[in-house]
Amino acid sequence: MRLPHFDYYAPASLEEVLSLLEDRQGEAHVLAGGTDLLPLMKYGLRVPSTLISLKNVILLKGISIRDKEVFIGPMTTLAQLQDSPIIRDNFPALHQAVEATAAPPLRNIGTIGGNLVQNTRCLYYNQSKVWRREKPPCFKTGGTCCHAVPKGTKCFSVYCGDLAPALIALGGRLSIESKNRRSITPLPDLFSGNGLAPFNLADDSLITGVIIPLPGKNSASSYEKFRLRGSVDYPLVSAAASITLQKGRNIKQSTLILGAVGPKPVIVTIDPLSPDLRSDGLNREALDNLLGKKAPMVDNLAMPGAYRKKILSLVALKAIRRALEAIPKKESQ
Amino acid sequence: MKKKSKQLITLFVNGNEYEMALRPNRTLLEVLREDLRLTGTKEGCDDGVCGSCTVLMNGVPIRSCLCLAVEAQGKAITTIEGLAEGHRLHPVQQAFVDQGAIQCGYCSPGMILTAKALLDRNPQPTEGEIKESISGNFCRCTGYNKIVTAIQTAGRIVGGEK
Repeated sequence: MRLPHFDYYAPASLEEVLSLLEDRQGEAHVLAGGTDLLPLMKYGLRVPSTLISLKNVILLKGISIRDKEVFIGPMTTLAQLQDSPIIRDNFPALHQAVEATAAPPLRNIGTIGGNLVQNTRCLYYNQSKVWRREKPPCFKTGGTCCHAVPKGTKCFSVYCGDLAPALIALGGRLSIESKNRRSITPLPDLFSGNGLAPFNLADDSLITGVIIPLPGKNSASSYEKFRLRGSVDYPLVSAAASITLQKGRNIKQSTLILGAVGPKPVIVTIDPLSPDLRSDGLNREALDNLLGKKAPMVDNLAMPGAYRKKILSLVALKAIRRALEAIPKKESQ
Repeated sequence: MKKKSKQLITLFVNGNEYEMALRPNRTLLEVLREDLRLTGTKEGCDDGVCGSCTVLMNGVPIRSCLCLAVEAQGKAITTIEGLAEGHRLHPVQQAFVDQGAIQCGYCSPGMILTAKALLDRNPQPTEGEIKESISGNFCRCTGYNKIVTAIQTAGRIVGGEK
């Protein structure tokens, strides 16, 4: 599969990148690691006339601690995140999510910024031109139907990023810049919930940093993922858990972030007063009831929606237990 | 369709320097195979999944099908052709031959380069570390046991030489 032709720029400064993005709004696409974008271009699903490579912008790489927050440049590779003691020691959910993302060679070039804005996926969308030719275009390819939900009136494509649920669980925020603006945005606000245009990110804007607050005492996070092949696949469902305990190991605050259940990660706050969801009394039935309505999954990934729905509470339960196990007992007394 | 202009770049492949004029839409895999005739690097899925196009960039395994050649400028690229010294195979290549880990051979260049990168970093990996490192390289003959054994064998040789 050949890539379509495009103009290529690899500026060395952020200012040049932002100027190019403003000058070529709607035509240009940023190139980070390329592991999501280039397959889409090979399939003819993305045809930008200009690619702006970020590989030479040193400012966008690296991990640092600033006050009580960790700042991650968007061009930091997943392998660098995986090897970072700062990430491993402070943010278990992110470390576990990185380890579960793709395979080692892909993590060597895939970046955190690119991972966050990876396009939504669907069995009927992520296919070659020849494959897609056999069916009329769907909503996502400019048509007027959905092949996954034949009577559907919208696109049901699924956001399959591994890092976003973990980063939301950790209270992550994004620094977003354009030529004349800079803003700090809570990560959930990045997602539009619309499968056709999944991100609230203007054409002239760029994610220039990921900011995560250092975790408090008695808190823990985790990430669990279900996929067909343990080596390389996208999640069929995933869950990140963020838990804070109070005295007596009762849950003070508990949040689940569900991945691969729809066009954006779904945040579920667990009522700490619910007897079914106390740390010692977690059970799958209670989670089934809680999560069932939050994740209306359809048959558009490698396993049927009904099966993924059954698995979801199991994955969520594993995430909660993994987080609870990570809290040292003496600290919660 | 209007062709986008060629760019003059320098690639460092297997210790050799190549000055080339390339359109930016060419992948490193295409340039290695079609322009430099280094056909040891295989095209498999062309989608980043299978690992048969693996090469080393600055010693680290990457998918050459998902890397633009212009993005590889200034980086040291190693393909399977760059491992042997004359007729003397690299210890990982020799171990693959000795252990019968080559099989149909299509995944072997990617497997061997991935294994070399692992052993350069960690000459005595555990079985788990070996399996993790080659988890992105698919062998459709499914002969993974012999591949793991070959990498363990090569590890002992590489580790012994150091």
